Amino acid sequence: MQILINIILTSFLYFIIIISFTNIYTPSHFFSLTHAAVITFGAYFTYMLTAQAHAPLWLAIPGAIILATAVGVSTELCIYKPLRKRGATPLIMLIASLGLYVVLQNLISMLWGDDTKSIRTWEVKVGNEFFGAYITDVQIIIIAVSLTLFVLCLLFLHYSRLGKQIQAVSSNEELANIFGINSDRVILLSFAIGSALGSIAGILVSLDTDMTPTMGFKLLLYGIVAMIIGGVGSYWGLLGGALLLATAQHLSAYYIDSKWMDAVAYIILILFLIWKPLGFSGRRLKKVEI
Amino acid sequence: MEYILHLLILIGIYAILAQSLTLVAGYTGMVSLAHAGFYGIGAYTAALLSVNFQVPFLLVIPIAMLFSGVIALAVSVIALRTVEDYFIICTLGIQVIIFSLMNNWMELTNGPLGIPGIPDLTIFGYKFSDKIPFLLLTFSIAGIIFYIIKNITSSNFGLLLKAISEDEIFTQSLGKNVYRTKVMTFVFGAMIASIPGILYAHYITYIDPTSFTVDESIFILSIVIIGGIRSLWGSVFAAAFLILLPEGLRFIGLPEDVAANLRQILYGTILVAVMFKYSKGFVANSKKT
Repeated sequence: MQILINIILTSFLYFIIIISFTNIYTPSHFFSLTHAAVITFGAYFTYMLTAQAHAPLWLAIPGAIILATAVGVSTELCIYKPLRKRGATPLIMLIASLGLYVVLQNLISMLWGDDTKSIRTWEVKVGNEFFGAYITDVQIIIIAVSLTLFVLCLLFLHYSRLGKQIQAVSSNEELANIFGINSDRVILLSFAIGSALGSIAGILVSLDTDMTPTMGFKLLLYGIVAMIIGGVGSYWGLLGGALLLATAQHLSAYYIDSKWMDAVAYIILILFLIWKPLGFSGRRLKKVEI
Repeated sequence: MEYILHLLILIGIYAILAQSLTLVAGYTGMVSLAHAGFYGIGAYTAALLSVNFQVPFLLVIPIAMLFSGVIALAVSVIALRTVEDYFIICTLGIQVIIFSLMNNWMELTNGPLGIPGIPDLTIFGYKFSDKIPFLLLTFSIAGIIFYIIKNITSSNFGLLLKAISEDEIFTQSLGKNVYRTKVMTFVFGAMIASIPGILYAHYITYIDPTSFTVDESIFILSIVIIGGIRSLWGSVFAAAFLILLPEGLRFIGLPEDVAANLRQILYGTILVAVMFKYSKGFVANSKKT
């Protein structure tokens, strides 16, 4: 039972990261690795506001989300938009984002140090008992928040004007421009939404466990693996991807050893790339087959 | 003086790594983030063979190359089903798996504790224990590899590689086996990358998994890209530049940990700046010159 709760918890956590990342990935069509830094910034800004500026948590969390979103938006404005205007391919954008990620991550290390930090000021207590397993308050919050965000995203993408514009830009940027949609504005907004969601994920992780400057990269890579497994384009597929990855990782941690969790994630990715390169929702993700 | 020799040896080692990646990423267009993994495989093979079985250096080289090549073959058959940005993510995954094996397979690799006491490099009874002979050895190996890769890239096969990186479908329509060529090049690059690993293991005499992380792969890729992705001499100069740069920072008098972060920030910034130069794609840029 405990393992089931852990699986559900991890998959919801991965799921927020995936939706935050696909929000950026689908309109801009490249793997923005700086998103990992945005996730980490979410956690560290919360740390800065609570532990260093002594703000209450209810004020610090929105503040941290705004600051981290500002980081995400400024990467788009200062680096990605000029690169896109010069006609950069997704590969070039990916390498640029890798360089930018290295810069941001080391900035975090310089500002706050490499050691593990925590924003938990409250005492660690035994969680609530639930069918013979334990779940802490924070973990209940994680599940509630991610479910809410999932529903909001689904509604937003399908029913709001902006959501439809994002979908239009995702499927064909040029055509969307012809129809009078300002694709730069749409991509900027999706960066803002994605970064806000990503920083929320970072804050939730830091509330549940601790934070290190490289936490975002690890989480984002799991998110990317789950995204490729699930297949871009369907939220249900992505949820399935997150569930599958979390299940495999927890089972391997339970039956083999938790140190192999990284390797298991990538072995699953490779297996999927061999037999089901489009993810199990079957939507087109891969480039032209050669 | 000792310190300058140390830096020169490191430059030699990274120049070999960068040259092999230049062939893979620059000429054939397979931008790989798994290179530190193959470098690590070379280092671990050398360490395990020479510590446990006292295998001589000249025999270690072919064994390590073979081993690295077999793993690269298995890996590339899978990874090369993807292209461009998916290929990078895939190689990143392979890098993480290789690192995870080095870090967690306690019985074989001794995990995070690493392998100490690797003996000095010996060829026909001559010990390369001093820095100067080791430097000469490193540079001559780098020279041989430079010569081989130079010859490959200027041959017909090199033309085929360039054609693949520019237009795969067109190359295939000319009757060339694109997939097989890519696998061959990737395997060859990985085999070459194991040689600097062997040198590193014998030189430092102690290895642990932290020398072969994703960051190391990013560093090797940065050398290649900053050197002009298709330029063999460029990658040698870029290796020298990127290794000497932090030493310059140290002379300014920055504390050790800040200097380490600042060094990475500099790599990152240079990488982003170079991407602006290459924004039309690596190939379009090389056509102009």
